[in-house]
Order: sequence, then structure tokens, then C-alpha cells
Amino acid sequence: MTQPYELSLTEAARALADRSLSPVELTRSVLDRIAAVDPEVNAYVTVTADAALRSAREAEREIAAGLYRGPLHGIPFGLKDLVDTAGVPTTASSLVRADHVPTADAAVTARLHAAGAVLVGKTHTHEFAYGTTTPQTRNPWSTGHLAGGSSGGSAAAVASGTATFAIGTDTGGSIRIPAALTGTVGLKPTYGLVSRHGVASLSWSLDHVGPITRTVRDAGLVLGALAGHDPRDPASIDRPAEDYGCGPGGDLTGLRVGVPVNYYFDRVQPAVEEAVRAAVDDLTALGAEAVPVEIPMAEYVRPTQWGLMVPEATAYHQASLRAVPELYTEDVRLLLEAGEFVPATDYIRAQRARTLMRAAWLELFHRVDVIAAPAVTSTAARAGQEVIEWPDGVREPVSDSYVRLSAPANLTGLPALALPVGLDGQGLPIGMQLIGRPLGEATLVRIGAAHEGGHRPAGVLAPL
Amino acid sequence: MATTDLAPADIARLAERAGLPLPPDRLPAVTATVNAIHDVLRTLDGLALGDTAPASAFDAG
Repeated sequence: MTQPYELSLTEAARALADRSLSPVELTRSVLDRIAAVDPEVNAYVTVTADAALRSAREAEREIAAGLYRGPLHGIPFGLKDLVDTAGVPTTASSLVRADHVPTADAAVTARLHAAGAVLVGKTHTHEFAYGTTTPQTRNPWSTGHLAGGSSGGSAAAVASGTATFAIGTDTGGSIRIPAALTGTVGLKPTYGLVSRHGVASLSWSLDHVGPITRTVRDAGLVLGALAGHDPRDPASIDRPAEDYGCGPGGDLTGLRVGVPVNYYFDRVQPAVEEAVRAAVDDLTALGAEAVPVEIPMAEYVRPTQWGLMVPEATAYHQASLRAVPELYTEDVRLLLEAGEFVPATDYIRAQRARTLMRAAWLELFHRVDVIAAPAVTSTAARAGQEVIEWPDGVREPVSDSYVRLSAPANLTGLPALALPVGLDGQGLPIGMQLIGRPLGEATLVRIGAAHEGGHRPAGVLAPL
Repeated sequence: MATTDLAPADIARLAERAGLPLPPDRLPAVTATVNAIHDVLRTLDGLALGDTAPASAFDAG
């Protein structure tokens, strides 16, 4: 018999709406699952069990009274510990903020509360989101492997059934990387679509907030609750609300799917390439047309990403790096210190490179509707593994390899969806990435859901 | 666009000027990281930027 924690958001919402399941039953099931498996996975920094049950009871009363708020009402979720929650510790998984208890909610926290969602806890991040491994959290598909990061706790929670959905942040791939490595769905929205107000920044010009879910349909539902103008975030886009539901159809006739001929399949594990190319074949079988595309300015992705992120991160931490440097973990402290010595002209040069890169990418979208590519070069690395060795002899740091294919969507601000497309020979998940034109989230959800619809069952939990 | 690596003594002087406490035992690792970052950023030397303006803020929509 299916336990409530196993339900996808879409399935749970349906059961809550027709009152065949109560928010309290669902929340208790998720909290019991946390007690059972989180000691091994360590997705959570803080579990807010009592408050969650209070919220669930309130949702139960409201739904019983006919005050159903929508598909997130009564749904348990995990929130990356970078995102402020009034009265609940928000540590950024760092000793620097060990005692930080915000007095106000972040914009996304407030939006999820307004939608009636039930916060079950705060999830681990690589310290201050400055890294892509989240070493304290384990991959639910194999606890000897990493969950990826920096939203590793959010992805591990969704994959292990300890949250029905979760929220992550993405500066160089931090939603899509752990989603790909844990067999979940991660959606980095268009830059500015979701407010970052109340979210600790890693790099203002690259930061995004978005959902991690079991299915593509679920991601569309969460995005619908998160998106909206917020004048407190200077990047926020003022535009009418949109429906990110994908409709019933799986026909992709007329859609052009760009398949990169460079960059995205370089130094990629064979199992990853094979699964992603097979997924593209699935899309063409549904009516889409595959179009070869050349990725522009590929050799400038890494220096542009570093040229922006490194000095912006150091600027954010400038005061605490002087006050309490010993409280940072060594890898993060070293990068923050080194960032003090990047000349302003190098930073501006990266901004200028970004202008050209964004324009060149937008040109691509005259010829295609989306680009399909691997989300990450490889499946999950072993815990403690520091480098990936490629057949050409190159030894690439795990973090560099993880960011390599996801960074372009941060630099260009384009929306990108990571979705599971299979397992490797070790049984570890493989993720595909769909990159769309600005504000093209509905198209990404439509294509992702069509692929998902052809591969039942979607949203399978890790075999813990 | 400098082409020579910084030395630990350079980093110590610059850190002092920036008001960044950097004990001597940290200088080797920080210097190596600064030079590694610089090597990556140097790739942008090959990019002709002309009059391109920075994307310090942009409307993604």
C-alpha cells in the first residue's frame, strides 16, 4: 500500500482536495519518514515537527470548511537553510550563522505560507551555497555517494520521501546539479521571475530561487506559487501571473529541440550521454524536431562565471570575513579570501563578456525552442572524491565538473529544467537539462512533462 | 590583464591594505588560489569586447 510520503505533489494535492487524505496524515507520514531515514541521509539542518503539525491542522480545518487554497495547501515541504523563516533558525549550514533566527520570512517563504504549504524543516546547503557537493548530506540512491549541491539537502529530502517538494537556490547549477544526481526534478526559473528577498546571496547577478520536486508537473505547480513581482528584489520582473500547468497532451509536433554539437557532450560519462541522447529521441518520437546547434562562446563560460561569482561572493561576506573568519569551513574561507584580490576591471570584463554571451544565446532561440543537454557531466561522485578523471587524462575537480554544464543558464538568465532520464550501471540517477528562452518556463514544463508521461512511473523515490 | 603571478608577500601587502586579516600561515594557500583564479580569468584576454557595455543589470524578460 502506498504511504502518503510516497505521493508526488500532484497526487497528494488531488487526495487532499477530494479529502481522501488529510494534511495531518500526510504531514505525520513525512515526519515519520524523516525519523526513519534522515539520520542516514542528513538532508535536514532543522526539523520543525511541532509547527508543521500545527500548520497541517490549520490546513485540515480550512479544507474541511471549503477554504481550499490550491494545490500546495496542506503539502509538506523543505526549505533550503539559506532562505529566511521567521522564528526558525536559518544557518546557511554555517557556524557563521549558527545563532541566526530571522524576524521575518523571505518572499518565497511568505508565498508558500500563503499557498497553505506546510514547512517541515530547513535543508542542508553547501556552506552559504558556495560549493556543489554539500558534503554533510548523502545521496539517498547510495549513501556512499554525494547528493550534489549546493541545494543537496533539498534534493535528498525530495528523493528520500522526507519532503513532498523543496526549495533550492541556483547560482551555477545548485538546483539542477543535486536534482540530476538524486533523480529528482529541478527548475531554475528565468532570472528575476522569483524574488530573492530574504535569501542569503552567493552572487547577486547569478542567484535564482526555484523548486525541487518528484515530477515535472509538480515543479510547474510550485513555480506558480513562487513567481511574482517583488520590488524588494532589484532583479524582479513585473509581469502578469502565468499558469505553468502542462495540460494533458504529450504531442510535441512543431517544437524544435536544439542538440549541442559542442561543449555539452565534451568530457561527459558515456552512460550520461547515452541516456540524454535517448531522451532526445523520445522527444522526437513525440513529434519534436531535433536541430543541431553550436553553443556560442563556450570557452568563456568558466572565466565569466568565476569573474562574476568570486568577487560578488567576497563582497557579500566582506564584514564577517574580517570579524569571524575562523567560523567558515576551509574551502569556502579560501575562496572568499582569494576573492579580495580580483581586480574590479576583471569583474567588469566578465560583465561585458556576459553581455555578448547572452546576446549570442538569444540568437540560438531564433532557430530552436529549447536546448536539450546533460544536466551534469557525470552521475554522483563518491563521498570524499575530489576529482573526476577523464579518458583524455584530464583530472577535473568534482565541483568544476558539476558546474560546467549548468553555469551557462545562470550567466544568460535563461530558464533551465533538470529531469531524470535514467540510471547508470551502478543504479545512480542521470539528469537531462532543458534550457528555454526567457520566461519560457511553460514550454520547459510542457516538454518535460511529455517526456515524463512516456516513462511511467515518474517520481520514483530512492530505494532507501 | 597582468601576466605574472602574485607572490605571498604581494598578497600580504594587498591584504593589509584591504584590512583583511590574513595570518602568515594562510598566505601560501590564498596565494595559490588567487593565482589559479587569475589564470582562469585570463582566458577573457582573447575576447574582443569593443564598446560592449557590462551586464551589471539586465532585464531577463
